[in-house]
Amino acid sequence: MAEQEINAADLVKLTIDGKQVCVPKGTNLIEAALSVGIEIPFYCYHRHLSVAGNCRMCQVEIAGMPKLTIACNTIAVEGMVVRTHHTSPAVVAAQRATLEFLLLNHPLDCTVCDEAGHCKLQDYYYEYSASASRVLEDKVRKVKAQPLGPEVIYDGERCIMCTRCVRFCAEITKTAELAVLERSDRSVIGVHPGKELNNPLSGTVCDLCPVGALTHRRWRFNTRFWYTQESKSICTGCSTGCNARIAVRDEQIVLVRARLNSAVNQEWMCDEGRYGFERFQPCGRLARPVIRSGLELRAVPLEESYAAAANGLRMENDGAAAMLLSPLLTLEEMWLALCFFAELMGGDVQSAWVALQLKRRKLNSVEQLLVSPDLAANAWGLPLLGAGNHGDGDYRTRCEENYLSLLARIRRGEVRRLLLVGDRALLDEDLDIELIDALLAVEQSVAITPRGLLDGESLDAERGLLGAHQLCRIVLPGRTVHEKSGVMVNKDFRLQRLSRLLTPPENSLPEWMHLQGIAQAGGKVLAGGYIGDERLLYAEMAKRCSALAGISLRDIGDLGIALSPQGGRVL
Amino acid sequence: MAHHRILTANIEYDDQRQIAAYEKRGGYAALRKALALPPEQVLAEVKLSGLRGRGGAGFSTGMKWGFVPKNSGKPVYLIQNADESEPGTFKDRLLLERDPHLCLEGMIIAAWALGSRWSCIYIRGEYAYPAVCIEQALAEAYARGYLGKNILGSDFSLDIILHRGAGAYICGEETGLIESLEGNPGRPRIKPPFPAVVGLYGCPTVVNNTETLAALPWIINNGAAAYKAIGTDKSPGTKLISASGHVSRPGVYEIDLGYPLLEFLNNECGGIRGGHRLKAVIPGGSSVPVLRADELAGVCLDYESLQAAGSMLGSGGLIVLDETSDMVETALNLQHFYAHESCGQCTPCREGAHWIEKIVKRILAGRGTAADLALIESLCGQIGGHTICPFGDALITPVLSLMAKFPEEFSRLIDQGLDSLVRESYG
Repeated sequence: MAEQEINAADLVKLTIDGKQVCVPKGTNLIEAALSVGIEIPFYCYHRHLSVAGNCRMCQVEIAGMPKLTIACNTIAVEGMVVRTHHTSPAVVAAQRATLEFLLLNHPLDCTVCDEAGHCKLQDYYYEYSASASRVLEDKVRKVKAQPLGPEVIYDGERCIMCTRCVRFCAEITKTAELAVLERSDRSVIGVHPGKELNNPLSGTVCDLCPVGALTHRRWRFNTRFWYTQESKSICTGCSTGCNARIAVRDEQIVLVRARLNSAVNQEWMCDEGRYGFERFQPCGRLARPVIRSGLELRAVPLEESYAAAANGLRMENDGAAAMLLSPLLTLEEMWLALCFFAELMGGDVQSAWVALQLKRRKLNSVEQLLVSPDLAANAWGLPLLGAGNHGDGDYRTRCEENYLSLLARIRRGEVRRLLLVGDRALLDEDLDIELIDALLAVEQSVAITPRGLLDGESLDAERGLLGAHQLCRIVLPGRTVHEKSGVMVNKDFRLQRLSRLLTPPENSLPEWMHLQGIAQAGGKVLAGGYIGDERLLYAEMAKRCSALAGISLRDIGDLGIALSPQGGRVL
Repeated sequence: MAHHRILTANIEYDDQRQIAAYEKRGGYAALRKALALPPEQVLAEVKLSGLRGRGGAGFSTGMKWGFVPKNSGKPVYLIQNADESEPGTFKDRLLLERDPHLCLEGMIIAAWALGSRWSCIYIRGEYAYPAVCIEQALAEAYARGYLGKNILGSDFSLDIILHRGAGAYICGEETGLIESLEGNPGRPRIKPPFPAVVGLYGCPTVVNNTETLAALPWIINNGAAAYKAIGTDKSPGTKLISASGHVSRPGVYEIDLGYPLLEFLNNECGGIRGGHRLKAVIPGGSSVPVLRADELAGVCLDYESLQAAGSMLGSGGLIVLDETSDMVETALNLQHFYAHESCGQCTPCREGAHWIEKIVKRILAGRGTAADLALIESLCGQIGGHTICPFGDALITPVLSLMAKFPEEFSRLIDQGLDSLVRESYG
């Protein structure tokens, strides 16, 4: 909203708690109040769902109205005078009443509830009620631990019937599995007969649930929330770049929640992305750099591997040089890899000798709401850096063709010096016997990857192949996408920040550090000098890269900023 | 006092259900007359008559019709609300069963005035027999050209569909009704938008009570001025009163509005049943405040007089209680009804309705405490005016007024209860 130009004629002025507020026409009072920092509490309201108005938590007093009004269903009009709980005793009483009713039949099982610690019932009780119970009667008993689908489980007694989950399935996925069953205080959420909650975005209902009624089957009873470290980051499952909060305890991802970002994913997330965070963490990791001679593998000290890699890749050597980039690299790493390709390997970054894997995949209609048809989180970073722009057709097609044609060159033995940067720079599924032989035949090849290989043993066909990196002469232990921070560009050219979630294993280094190390060993300096910190690396890139001119990490913030396809902020 | 017979003029005739007999007694003449007038004039006539909605709210019918936007480009839907479910109310049933064509004729006139091409009668699920009567009447009306394409040779076409509810009280609330009609559970919608602008299937919709629509043929035949001359200034016309409870002759009576309540009880209903004394009256269906016998002097059956007395005319469901009635039991009975019928959509009503019922039940069981009465009062304050639909206000009214008017019956139970508890504990 802030990024759009707004005419004065489309604005209305009103007063909330004595503060002057100016908002676009059509804004409701919750959003209007929020724009001046006044938080009106709510349960059932959601910016991207229809207004239900059933929780009654957001009541406000409007001058001239006989009764309190719900803020979610009231559109700001010129001259309106609104009083919230900050200035109206009637609103304070109404909020306290609402909480009393909501807690009336609530089991108060916070001690075993996964939501405890980030529960809006707890938060609001402390903030807006904190009064003793007046109930002498028994509580209503409802269904407990009722699976709604493969991923989601329901607790009827904790449910406050806000119907966000029902509206999400009816309005967003349009799969309508959920409904409110029964009436009055017997009301529960349930699936329609013969259905189950199994749409590709089903886990989102747990995010939308403001209490502990809907929880993830695979994550419940994992940990108390306050023992976790929660980071704001993005999902790297595809090029949509859904904003997420990831809770980690003891180096385990214990909860992934979608984060509200109206420009990207609203507050939705696909199950594949949410529950698949762990898939970027390979089981085995490389402990030390490895040099292969023939079929023998030999672990070597870092300095030796750098010297060997620099020696093998340097431009003075004969033959064509090529580089395959992983779409999971951060933008900084891609930039540094391009510098490396030009400076040390003597290649042309705008040529077809630099390729990025962007494999297309099929999606069903519900997935298409959110998911992008690829597995390439940062694929759109490359054209922003001035590479990957050759060929015809849209970027997706060009990228795909370029990647395949580079593989064809490898097959034909045209590539003499090869650099693979990052996880999934060359997809396992593309490895056939021919390509394996061709890769083994490349004279100088270096891979930087977080994936493991059988340390100190020879390559043995019967043991199976762990990936293309295993076929390179030199393999350096890199890091996974969860072990580094940086920025990424999604398919709409939105620049977003990626945060480090997990502690990387000892001896591993991020891809960009390795690149600098090799360059240094080869007597070259990338980016004007050795950089030891990810933030400095971003600053250096932003300084040298016209597409990012004047954009600092702080500018990007939690929600990212929109760039034009040519780079630069969208004004 | 002789009352006008506007709605029940022909109610005694057993053949009135048949269209031939209905026509013989002057039926469908008003429709012919209305179709000859431009719709605006029919609307103006209804506005002028001062007719007020007979479903309970008593809102001006003409004004309600006036809220429908002109030339919205969307169809206008007219719905006849025959979901008569208010405890103590059974007046529409009489019309639907005994004079169904009157209900249809009024509706066709209203549809003409509103420009509705498609209309619907939403009838209470339990009204199986009235539904059959209406269905037969619809078939007859179609056969005679009062419904369908080019009614009576005019350009006006109208289809009326009969829809039977599934038995929920809340579907009598107009937006709950619309939800139900669309095939959803009967949960009222938040307002705004109001049905006159965004109603059935998102189109302008008018929901009128059966009795309201049944008054239209007479108004068209005799003119707005004649209608306005009946009753009082603010409550013109006649009203059906369904009297039930401890009277000698319970039943449905048509009265000129402004008729003194006590006179009505004595002259029409034959007084209180044998040898008993009047204790209280709930004058307008279960959702209006109760009036004690000593408050009834000078109170008339019309909107303004009952309002001045602290109650409401409501739907005209007059419930009469004699001295044998226990007011705490009465409160529990009504509270149980409301707790059961709450749709469960919004927080205060869903949770509060049952809580109040449980407290009243506890008081009746002799386990009430002195704090309970204050608690009920406080809960009612937390519900009333804080819900999506008027059900929240309806559910608190009986218990609040019973507690206010008969406090001694509640406190006696609480004191007795305490005594017995003490005796139980200490012998």
